Amino acid sequence: MADIALKQVTKKFKKNTVLSGVSIDIKDKEFFVIFGPAGAGKTTLLNLIAGILVPEEGVITINGNVINSLEPEHRNVAMVFENYALYPHLTVFENIASPLRSPKYRQPEGKIRDEVERVAKILRIDWLLQRLPSELSNGQRQRVSLGRALVRNPEVFLMDEPLTHLDAKLRHQMRAEFKEMQANLNTTTIYVTHDYLEALSLADRIAVLNQGRIEQIGTPDEIYYRPATEFVAEAFGEPEINILTADLVSKDGSMHLNLLGDSDHFAVPGRVRQALEEHGGDTVRAGFRPKDIKYNFTGDSSMLRATVYSFEPLGAKAILTVQADGQLIRLIAAADLDAKPDQPIYLKFNMEEAIFFDSGTGRFIARAGEKGVRSVG
Amino acid sequence: MGNTNPIAKILKNSALLLYALFALFPLFWMLLISFKHDREMFNTIFVFNPTLENYRVLFSTGEYIGYFMNNVFVSVGAVLLSLAVGVPAAYALARFDFRGKEDLAFTFLSFRFAPEMLVILPLFLIYQKIGLYDTAFGLIWVFQLISLPFIIWILRGYFEDISPEIEHAARVDGYSWWRVFLKINMPLIKPGMVAAALLSFIFVWNNFTFTLLLAGQGVVTTTVASLKYISSDTVHYGQMAAAVTIAALPEVLLALLIQKHLVRGLSMGAVKG
Amino acid sequence: MSSIGRPDPSVPFADLANASPNRNMDKIPPIPFMRKARPYLILAPALLLTIGILIPFFISIYYSLTNYSFKYKDYSFVGLENWTKMLTDPSFWHSVWVTLQYAFFSTGTEMLLGIGVALMLNQDTRLAKALRIVLIFPLMIAPVIATLIWQLMTNNSVGVIAHALRSIGINNFLWGAAPKTAMFSVVLIDVWVNTPFVIVLVLAGLRSLPKAPFESAMVDGGSAWFTFKTLTLPMIKPLLLIALLFRVMISLQEFSIIFALTRGGPGDTLMSLPLTAYNEAFTYKELGAALPYMLILWVFIYILSYYLIRYWSRAQKNASGS
Repeated sequence: MADIALKQVTKKFKKNTVLSGVSIDIKDKEFFVIFGPAGAGKTTLLNLIAGILVPEEGVITINGNVINSLEPEHRNVAMVFENYALYPHLTVFENIASPLRSPKYRQPEGKIRDEVERVAKILRIDWLLQRLPSELSNGQRQRVSLGRALVRNPEVFLMDEPLTHLDAKLRHQMRAEFKEMQANLNTTTIYVTHDYLEALSLADRIAVLNQGRIEQIGTPDEIYYRPATEFVAEAFGEPEINILTADLVSKDGSMHLNLLGDSDHFAVPGRVRQALEEHGGDTVRAGFRPKDIKYNFTGDSSMLRATVYSFEPLGAKAILTVQADGQLIRLIAAADLDAKPDQPIYLKFNMEEAIFFDSGTGRFIARAGEKGVRSVG
Repeated sequence: MGNTNPIAKILKNSALLLYALFALFPLFWMLLISFKHDREMFNTIFVFNPTLENYRVLFSTGEYIGYFMNNVFVSVGAVLLSLAVGVPAAYALARFDFRGKEDLAFTFLSFRFAPEMLVILPLFLIYQKIGLYDTAFGLIWVFQLISLPFIIWILRGYFEDISPEIEHAARVDGYSWWRVFLKINMPLIKPGMVAAALLSFIFVWNNFTFTLLLAGQGVVTTTVASLKYISSDTVHYGQMAAAVTIAALPEVLLALLIQKHLVRGLSMGAVKG
Repeated sequence: MSSIGRPDPSVPFADLANASPNRNMDKIPPIPFMRKARPYLILAPALLLTIGILIPFFISIYYSLTNYSFKYKDYSFVGLENWTKMLTDPSFWHSVWVTLQYAFFSTGTEMLLGIGVALMLNQDTRLAKALRIVLIFPLMIAPVIATLIWQLMTNNSVGVIAHALRSIGINNFLWGAAPKTAMFSVVLIDVWVNTPFVIVLVLAGLRSLPKAPFESAMVDGGSAWFTFKTLTLPMIKPLLLIALLFRVMISLQEFSIIFALTRGGPGDTLMSLPLTAYNEAFTYKELGAALPYMLILWVFIYILSYYLIRYWSRAQKNASGS
C-alpha cells in the first residue's frame, strides 16, 4: 500500500553530482520503470529509495511520510540487485528465507518453510533449495534473488536491471514471465533498466533519466509518441529515430519543410502548423522513425531521391541506411532485400507520424494526431 | 615445469633433500637429545637409551610450566586485542573512503617494521612510570606492534573481496548494520581471520626482545627463559633440549594443523587460496 | 490514487522536474548523528591504539635531545649534542656497517635459497608434497631458541655438528667466538629460521601462475632459464617484493640472534645498531645517548619501506595486467 515520492532529490559523491533535482511521484500498485543509459544514476536512485544512500538535498516519502533518515531495515522495501547479491555461505533456501528470519520481518519457522517452498515452486527453483549460490547458473541465481524479494510483503519492490546479465534468449523468456508476474504482484514496483523494450512492455509509466536528470515521465505511449526531448526519442526505438534539421517555408498557403534540400514534399499537418507558428522560429528538428519512412526503387515525383549507403541484415529484418543531401537516414527493410551501395532509392516520409523538436533546445514542440496524449481524468 | 630429463630430476631431488636436511635435522636432533640422559650425553651420538628424566625434571620444578603459561597468556591476549581492534579497522579501510586512508594503512603496516629497540627505550621509561613494567598487559599492549599489522593487512583484503551489494541486501532484508557485520561479514572472512590470528600468534609467541626488556621476574616467557640456558654453565643439556622442545612444540603442531591457512596468511592475501 | 496536480493537456509534456523550480521546498530532515558518525566510531579503537603507539616515538625524539640517564634523577636539555657525538663516533659507523652487512647477507641468502627451493618444491612428486608441509618448521622457531639449538649443535662437548667437523679434521671451529666466523654464524642462524618465509611466498606465487603463457612458451621452444626470466620472474615479482620487504626490514633491526649468541662480540664484531643502542641504554645507562642510534635506523627503515611498498603496488598492478 504505498505511494513513493521524491522531491528535488540531489545526490553527490564527493564533487560528482550523480542526481540533480529529481522529482518523481509513483502511485500505489504502479509498475514504474526508471529508464536510462549506463551511468545515468538509476542504481543510485534505487539505493536512495531503499535507504542505502542518503540524499544531499531533497525529500523521499512513502505514503506521505518523510523517510530520509530511516535505516534500510526499517523501510520495508524489497530489492532485487543487479548482480543478485546472494549470500555465498548460505544455501538457496537460507538465502530466500533470510528476510523472514531477520528481527524486523521475522516469521515462525513453519511459515518460513511454507513461504520459501511456495515462492521456489513459482520460480521453478524448488529443486535447488539445498544448493549454494556458487553452484548455480546466472539464470538460477537471478531467480533466487527474485525469490528473496517475493517472499516478502513490502511497501515497494525495487528491481535493479534484473534481466541485464542474462543471455538474450533467457532474457526474452524472463521478460514474458515478468509481465505475467507483474499482473499478480499487486504491489508498487520500481524497475530499472537500460533496455527500452523492457521499459515499453512492462511499464505503467516510465521515467527517463539522463546524466542525473529526469528528461520525461509518462506512459509508454506518451514516451514513444510524444518524447519530451530528442534524447528520449533516440533512446526508444531500434533503429534509432532520424532527426533532421529543416527550415520552415510557406508554400501555396501551407507550411512546408525544407528538408534534405527538398521543399516540395514535406507538408506540415494543420494542427502542427499552428503549434509551430505559436512556438516561433524558422528552423525546426523533424524526427522520423525508420518504420514511418517508405521506400521504393522506382520512385515518383512525390518521393525524395536518395542513394543506398549500407545494408545490414539482422536476422529477420535489416537496417537499410541511405544518404540524401549529405545526411544518413536509417530505414527498416526485409532481410532478403537486394540493395547495393550507391543504388538510387526513393523515400516517402509519413508526415502524420513526424515529431517536431525545437532546434535550439531539442525539446518537443508538436506532432500530428492524438497518439500518446496524456489522458485527463 | 615440464622437465623429463632424469639427471636433472635426480639433481633437483638431491638438492631438495640437502636443504631438507639443513632445515629439519637440528629440530630432529633436539628432539633426540631431549630423551638422552645426562650421563650418556658425552659418550653417545645417536644410539642411546631413551629416558623421560629430562622432561620429568622440567615439569616437576614447575618453573618452566609457569613460563609456558605466561607465554600462552600474553600471546592469546595480544592476538585477541588485535582482533578486537583490527577487524573493525580493516573493515573501515576496505569500505570507507577518507582523506589519508592509504597513509593510515601504511602507518599500520609500518608498525611491523618498527625496530624493537626503538620502541623499548622510551617504553622502558614510560612503563615504569605508569606501572606497566613487568605486567602481562604491558606486554600485550606492546605486542600490538607485531600482531595488529598482520590482522589489518590480511583482513582488509578479505573485506574488499566481499561485494558491498551483499551487505545492502542484508540491510534491506531487515538486519541492522551490526547484525549484518556479524551474520554476513564475519563468516565470510573467517579463513582470513584464522590465518591472520595464527600468524600473529606465532610471531608474538616467539618474541624475545620485548619480554626481556619490558618484563622482569613477574612475566617470564619461554623465550627469555631459554636465555638462561645459553648463558649459564649448566651441563644439563638434556633438560635444555627438553625445554626447547616444549617451547617449540605448540607452534610446530599449529603449523601442521593449519598449513593451508598459514600459506594464505603469509602471502598476505596477495594470492587467493 | 492521485498524483500531484493535473498537467495541462495542451502542454505535450509535464515532467515535474522542470515544472516549478522555485516552489516551496519541504525542509530536508537532517541525517541522524549516529549514522554519520558510524564510520569514525568503527575506526576509533585502531586510531586510539595508533596514537598510543606513536607516543613513544615522539618521546624518543624528545629524550634524544636530553642527557637523560638511568643513573641520575635529573636531566637537562642538550640539543643535538647526542646526535653530533654519535655521528662523529667511529663506532657508530662501524655499527652501521655491521647492520648493513647482516641485512645484506641474510636477506640475500634467504632470497636466493628461498627461490631455488621453491622452484624445486613446485613439482607434484610425493617428496615435494611432503616437504612442502614440513619445511616451514624452522620459521616457527623463535630466533632465540634457534640460536640455542645451533649453539648446542656446535658445542664442542656434546654437539653433533662439532663432532662431525672433528671427524673430518676441523677442530675448534670457533663459530661465534671468533671475529672471522661470528658474522657467518649469526647469518647462518638467521637463514635457517627465515628462508621458509621466502619459500612459502614464492611457492604460493608459483602455484597460482596461469598455465596458458607457459604452455605457449613451451610450444615456442624456449629454454627453462629463458622462461623463468621473461615469464615467471615478472609474474611473481609482487610476492618477491613482499618477501624482500619483510626480510630486509626485519633483518636490519634484528636483535635477538646476535644478543643471544655473542651479546655483540667478540669485541665489537657484531655490534649492530640495535646492539649498540642496547649497550648505551642498559649497560652504560645513558638513554639520551642511545636513542639517536635507533632513531636513525628507524628513519632509514621508514623511507626504504615506503619506496619498496610503492614499487610493490606498481608491480602488483602490472602483474595482474600481464
